[in-house]
Amino acid sequence: MDIQLKRGLLDICVLAAIKNEDSYGYKIIKDMKPYIEMSESTLYTILKRLELSEMLTVRTSEHGGRLRKYYHITRAGIERIEDFKNEWREVMSIYQFVIKEEE
Amino acid sequence: MRKQEFLRALKRKLARLPRQELEERLNFYSEMIDDRIEEDRTEEEAVSDIGTVDEITAQILADKATEREKPKRRLGILEILLLALGSPIWLSLVIAAFSVIFSIYAVLWSIVVSVWSVFASLAACAISGVVAGIIFSFIGNGLSGIVTATAGIVCAGLTVFLFFGCKAATKGIIVLTQKSAAGIKGYFVKKENT
Repeated sequence: MDIQLKRGLLDICVLAAIKNEDSYGYKIIKDMKPYIEMSESTLYTILKRLELSEMLTVRTSEHGGRLRKYYHITRAGIERIEDFKNEWREVMSIYQFVIKEEE
Repeated sequence: MRKQEFLRALKRKLARLPRQELEERLNFYSEMIDDRIEEDRTEEEAVSDIGTVDEITAQILADKATEREKPKRRLGILEILLLALGSPIWLSLVIAAFSVIFSIYAVLWSIVVSVWSVFASLAACAISGVVAGIIFSFIGNGLSGIVTATAGIVCAGLTVFLFFGCKAATKGIIVLTQKSAAGIKGYFVKKENT
């Protein structure tokens, strides 16, 4: 897959993984695993990028005697997911056209 | 490999990263390993799930490389400013260059124009010579009439020869114009690509 496309998709996946409730690194990877494999290093980079673009916020909580970082989606993050859904409706209709022309 | 051992090795490999980023990354991996252990994995398994230190280092470098990929470069403010300030110099140079090219074309085409005007005057001489010769013969000056008519016929012959010369010259200049225009264009396009 095209690297820029994959990068964009992974961003959306991570946002979707924290959309309904705050989540932490390992849980995000586990939740995404059936759909898309992602290494820890990649996840770190994505979380950092989303934090810098204010799509999510980070808080540190104590968990079982150690610290764990929780990620919370922002308004901008939710809007990003909505934009993605609208964009992909267009992409899917183009896809249908391409498939049809090949028949 | 134990967790602490893994983190120490990673820290050594990533020593070039800024201190805060390094600290954050190490905490991140530490949390990942702890979460795996908490679930059901042993410490060794959790560490090997994360990947080898070399793999992680390579991945981080690759991620950093794609992060740095910027969209196509545009002119910076400083460059625009310099272009604007330098315009009295480069603009006049460009105008001078175009005037030189234009004058070369003008010279080439004036050759064509002059050759064709020689042709036109010879043709006029031929017609008027023959006509005048006939008129002279009729009004009684037979010898002058014959000489004038002969001159007219000679002119007509020269006109026919000159027509081919003019045609060839015009064609040559047209080809030269096209070729040099393409050459000048090619020079600029090449410059842009490099």
